Amino acid sequence: MTDGDAGKDLQRRLLSEYYGSLSDEGRNGRKVAYMFVPGNVVELTRCFDMLPVYPEINALQCGIKKMAGDLILRAENLGYSSDVCGYVKNDIGLMLSDRKSPFGVLPKPDLLVCNYSGCNTFVKWFEALAHFYDAELFVLDIPYLREREAAKEDVDYIVAQLEELATVCARISGVPFDRGRLRRTLELSMEAERLWVEALKTAQSHPSPYDAYFEAVFYMAPLNILRGTEGCVEYYRLLLEELRARQKERRGPVPEEKFRVVFEGPPPWPHFRSFWELFKRWGVCGVASTYSKVGGLFDQGILHDPAQPLESIARYAMNCYTNWNLGLRLDLLRRYVKEYEADAVVIHSTKSCRSFSVGQADFREVLVKNDGIPTLMVESDLADPRYYSEAQLKNRIDAFFESLSHRRLLGG
Amino acid sequence: MNVYVAGADIGSTTAKVVILDGEGKIAATSLGPTGASIVEAAQRRFKEAIEAAKIDEHEVEFVVGTGYGRFKIPFGHTQITEISCHAKGAHYLFPGTRTIVDIGGQDTKAIGADERGEVTDFCMNDKCAAGTGRFLDNAALAVGLSIDEIGPISLKAAKPLRITNVCTVFVESEIMSHMARGEKIEDVLRGVHNAIAIRSIALMRRVGITPEVTFTGGVSRNVGMVQALEGQLGTKVNVSPLSQYVGAIGAALYALERARGAPPTELVAEASG
Repeated sequence: MTDGDAGKDLQRRLLSEYYGSLSDEGRNGRKVAYMFVPGNVVELTRCFDMLPVYPEINALQCGIKKMAGDLILRAENLGYSSDVCGYVKNDIGLMLSDRKSPFGVLPKPDLLVCNYSGCNTFVKWFEALAHFYDAELFVLDIPYLREREAAKEDVDYIVAQLEELATVCARISGVPFDRGRLRRTLELSMEAERLWVEALKTAQSHPSPYDAYFEAVFYMAPLNILRGTEGCVEYYRLLLEELRARQKERRGPVPEEKFRVVFEGPPPWPHFRSFWELFKRWGVCGVASTYSKVGGLFDQGILHDPAQPLESIARYAMNCYTNWNLGLRLDLLRRYVKEYEADAVVIHSTKSCRSFSVGQADFREVLVKNDGIPTLMVESDLADPRYYSEAQLKNRIDAFFESLSHRRLLGG
Repeated sequence: MNVYVAGADIGSTTAKVVILDGEGKIAATSLGPTGASIVEAAQRRFKEAIEAAKIDEHEVEFVVGTGYGRFKIPFGHTQITEISCHAKGAHYLFPGTRTIVDIGGQDTKAIGADERGEVTDFCMNDKCAAGTGRFLDNAALAVGLSIDEIGPISLKAAKPLRITNVCTVFVESEIMSHMARGEKIEDVLRGVHNAIAIRSIALMRRVGITPEVTFTGGVSRNVGMVQALEGQLGTKVNVSPLSQYVGAIGAALYALERARGAPPTELVAEASG
């Protein structure tokens, strides 16, 4: 991160402890709950000493470590179609490879908590794992967010399901439900979330002290993996300190910040560095991104709350980014452009993730035609390296920033 | 001494070079297949254009490269994407241009431009060559005609067929099945041209279809394609005899701006190699 790298070092240590806890020795008899990142219920499962495993995060790690291509082929050899989500096929491929991940052998699930049902693929993914692992599956039915505020009856509906889930967790783990422990866990989540919101806001300064897309997707990892732990809070305290120090020194991720961009969509993990490079060359700095909010729209006031334990988990589950209706998503992009004084929006559309891609062409059209915000849309994939065509991407990115430069030169 | 500048558009299929004089008038053009060696193709076209303009290489003050081969042009001073160059070139030939549709060998682009020929928005085909020149090449192959013949034949169609396949590879079998059923070749070919026109218009809609519309790129030489596009759009489109050179003209116009002292707006750091 910075010269001190204290945040980075801590993140590395915390993640290595986390993966260590998943090993046969590390688990020490604790049960394992698989779950998804967006809107998950990790605070609840932690109350039962259950260890969380996040197949999406394993898939993206395999992407970064260049393992995804082979794993996807393994799943395709089993019969999965080329149109199936790359994350799913990566995970199936891992299962077929005795769960050997870049961070050691992953444990089998004792419970699969499908915490987001808005993505139909998620439901099918965990149904497949329940079949292959012969594990119990609990599907939370999360209503789509039709208005800015979650309706009370929807929240009540989810709370009732969470109570039911708590009973299942108690049965599987043998640990009774301790509501005081849940409140203490939520306290830690809320504290980390508050610090992260402050960290995100530092990107409002010129130059931004960090790239709110390409760097934020690593900064968000502890919140996605370790929410509800002391270490997670400590990490965001350090991160905020470091970003503020950089802010004071006017240091940013590019030597000269020429374009401030809001990014929409997940990055192409198997080609992360080269994709970033295509933007860095132009002095592009991400100042806000929607993908860094997949673990929670904390900056939009959606925080866990120990005073309303299950209700706040329910609101959090309903307010995952892809569960927002398209109008809310579009408004968020517009607000980011304004609040972070961005010059443009870049949409990276991915073939795998329909939850993300749906509506993106419309976002582009409205942003360009109604709001006059220059918007570029490029396509590849978040997991499958075969869908990344560097020459095509480079051409579009160059043409876009070339025309912005030219218009800037001509004044208007 | 006279000032000259050049634009070199090295595309996936053809290489084009245009030389402009200090007034921005076209002094010479050269065109030929790109082939396996981008460097050789570019050099050959540049040499031919210089000879046609009857000037010395040293008189060419600034060269801008564009097209997929732009980074491999050994004599280029800088590179600008073909999207910017097409907008500039179309504006030069037809100053009223606000929408450009460029159909090339493997790319179709829709570009929105302002009154100065600056790009306001653009969209391109992704991951698939359906609706590009390659689609026409395959259709010509399937019926055993040359690419230059299919356009004029399609104009004779009395009852154009609907080609539903969007895949450049699978369209061949659809054409063959129509032929086997005894459909007239002109009706099949008109269907092929219409299919491309419809696809291109969908792309154009994404940037907005504001007249005047200028049709550029190699495929604009095909009269069948011009008519199909006009028919589907319900409006006339500008087509120049120099339509294949639009990218190279745009590149040469950028070269002229630079020769006159304009600061660079492209990525200078990569301007060699």
